[in-house]
This record gives sequence, structure tokens and C-alpha cells, in this order.
Amino acid sequence: MWWKTLSVILIVYALLAGLLVPLKPGITYVQPATGKTGQDLTVQMHGYNSFYSRSPAAEVRVWLEFDSTHALAGQNLRILNDTTLEANFSLPRTLPEGRAFVMLNAFIDHPADGISLLPAAVEIRQDSSTSGSGEDARWSQNLVKELHVKSDFTFPYRNVIYESIRNTYFHVPMWFGLMFLFIASAWQSILFLRNVNTPDGPGRSKLDYDRKAAAYAEIGLLFGIMGLITGMLWAKYAWGAAWSNDIKQLMTAVALLIYLAYFILRRSFDEPEKGARLAAVYNIFAFATLIPLLYVVPRLFASLHPGATGNPAFGSQDLDNTMRMVFYPSIIGWSLLGFWIAQLRIRYQRLMDRATGLD
Amino acid sequence: MKFFKTRKLLIIILLQAIYLPALLAYGSSDFMRETGKINVVVGVILLIFLGIIVYLVRLERKLTKLEHQLKDEKNEWTN
Repeated sequence: MWWKTLSVILIVYALLAGLLVPLKPGITYVQPATGKTGQDLTVQMHGYNSFYSRSPAAEVRVWLEFDSTHALAGQNLRILNDTTLEANFSLPRTLPEGRAFVMLNAFIDHPADGISLLPAAVEIRQDSSTSGSGEDARWSQNLVKELHVKSDFTFPYRNVIYESIRNTYFHVPMWFGLMFLFIASAWQSILFLRNVNTPDGPGRSKLDYDRKAAAYAEIGLLFGIMGLITGMLWAKYAWGAAWSNDIKQLMTAVALLIYLAYFILRRSFDEPEKGARLAAVYNIFAFATLIPLLYVVPRLFASLHPGATGNPAFGSQDLDNTMRMVFYPSIIGWSLLGFWIAQLRIRYQRLMDRATGLD
Repeated sequence: MKFFKTRKLLIIILLQAIYLPALLAYGSSDFMRETGKINVVVGVILLIFLGIIVYLVRLERKLTKLEHQLKDEKNEWTN
């Protein structure tokens, strides 16, 4: 079957590309992380996945940036090794907009590596001995410009999660697979209820709809459990705890329990057709609660998941074009694998029902 | 597969899936945080692999049972 081959090809592609494509260079931390106005500060920037010595120090530029119109350029830049560079900053006498303190972003422009950025890397406080009226002109003399934008095949660098951004190709497709399988399951339940009064023809039984609905829901549940467990592992090292009662964690757990009850309901009748009929009705209601539980409620509350509080699940910040080229094939591959396993389950149940004389 | 017939082995595999992070962290306290947390990705892939394998093993056991059942009724079941 062509779609089974496609599933294998796409999963192998997702595994290879998802693990082998490097991350963009980034800045892990900056030392010192604090300073006062009027100070001469020697700042050391520590890179991740960077190759600073590939370009001469004269061509590399660094900034401490406040916004697009306020930035300080580093002077006398030294490259210590591939992941460390050092520059001097003479901090102005006053802060932009007369603030008491500002958080500055560390910004590196490298001809070979491209751009790397660490938001809120250095905190500068207003020192009372240097306070004065008016803004220091040094803030606007050397703005961030003439950047070397690289367009090679790399995944974005994010602090705290680092390489585990690759989990996007394995943890998230579980939830997409669950969604497709539960849609298929609800559809089969609808078909069962629509055909509940049509007589069975030769080689055509309405119990087949029920078998399909149950198998799709079962594999969907398997994907959901794997999504939950892999999410807990990821959360342990990205959020600090495996279970932090995040709204999305709670709601998916509730949704999975609702689907668990579907199987209990389906098996608790001696008469298979009666059980199938009630389970089909329950399955449609379960699907109707799944949508708000997974996609509506988590957006109404603060969540640790990306894209919570009103945004679509993935913004441009979370998924760039390179990631999309792995993410979408991965979703298709894992979902097709789910349908493949479900098909085996359906074929088993068909034989079983025939052997036991149920159908 | 007679090897998988023991339910104990399945339970051990399941337990390993649950305690995988703890097992991996044993010996070196920062195993999962080393080298840009790449081992978290390895763990996630392993958990998915284990989940699918455990499901397939269970399905296979059900199939074996059905095969035995059909073998007993071979006279009725001719195909």
C-alpha cells in the first residue's frame, strides 16, 4: 500500500532531518549580567554552536541593544575561542527615556555565523552620580544595522530548550495523529448511527463501523498517552517539573480519561449491537468535548505551552520555515503510521468477531 | 513469540518507559542537560518507539490466541 510506504519514508526523513540538521548559533549567557551607567564594562559573550574564529575579529560586531533606536556598540572586540568573545562597552551617563534601569539584548553579527541574540542579557541601572537631564547621545550613535543574514538550513536557537526544540517533530505529531484518529473515529460512529436500521448485506456489516470507530479511538488514545508521557519528559527539562498542572496538561488528561470511558462503556454490554449503539453516541459527545478541551480552554488561561493565551498554537516565533519542512512531513508520517496500526487492529477484530460468531 | 508470553516482561518494559528519565540520569546528575539537552530528544523518541512496540506486542499476543482458537475449530473453519 502506497501510504504505508509514504509513512515509513516520512518518519525516516523526520528522524534523520530532525536529528542531523544543526541549530543556529546562539548566545547562552553574557558576563557580567549587570552594570551601572558611566561604567566601562568588559563583556564576555558565550556562544552556543558558534564558530567565532572563522572570521577575523575586525569583521565581527556586537551590540547591547535596548530597542531599534537605542543600542551600544562594543569596542575593541577580541575572539577568545569559537564560543567566547569579549568586547568593551563604555556605558552612557543616562538611560533611554529617563528610566531607572533597562534590560539590554546581547546582539552578535558574525560574517560566517550570522546573527545571534540573547534577549534581556544585561541589566543596566542608573547610577545617581551620573544622572543628568537629557538622553546620552551614545545610545543612538551605533545602531544595529548592516547585518549578515544567513539563510542556511538550520533550526532556530532558543534558550533553555536548546536542542530539545527537535521534540517538535516527535512530541507534537502525536497530538496531530490523535486528532486525525479521533476525527476518523467520530466519523465511523456517525456512519454507524446512520446505518443502524439498514439490514446487513452479504460481506457488509454495520458492526464494521463500530469496529473501525473503536480501533481509531484506541490508537488515538495510544498516541495521546505517548504524547502525554513524552511531554512530561520534555517538561521536566524545559519547565523544571514533569507535571506542573499546566492548563493544557490538565485538559488533555481529562480528554484522555473521557476517551478511556468510551472503551469501558463499549465493553459493558452483553449484546454487541446495543453496546455499539451507545458507544457510538458517547463517542460523538466525547469528540465534541475534545475540541474545547484541547483547543479552546487552554487558550483562555495562562499556559507554559507556546501560543497560549489567545495566540494560535504556533506563532512565527516558535516555528520557522526550516522547521516547517520537517514538522509537516513528520505529522503526516506519524499520523499514517497510526492509521496503519489501527488497520491491523480492525483486521484482527474482524477475524475475532467472525471466529466467535458475533458477526 | 514465546519470549513475550510472560506478562512480567511486558510490565518491566512499561516500567522502564516510565522510569526512563531516572534510569538515564543515574550515574551522571546532568546527563539530560548535557550537550544542549539532546538526550531529552533521544528519550522522547525512545518513549514513542517503546509505546508502539508494546502495543504491537500486545496485538500479536491477541492474534496468537485467536490462531490457537481457530486451530481448535479447524473442521468448521475451512478457507
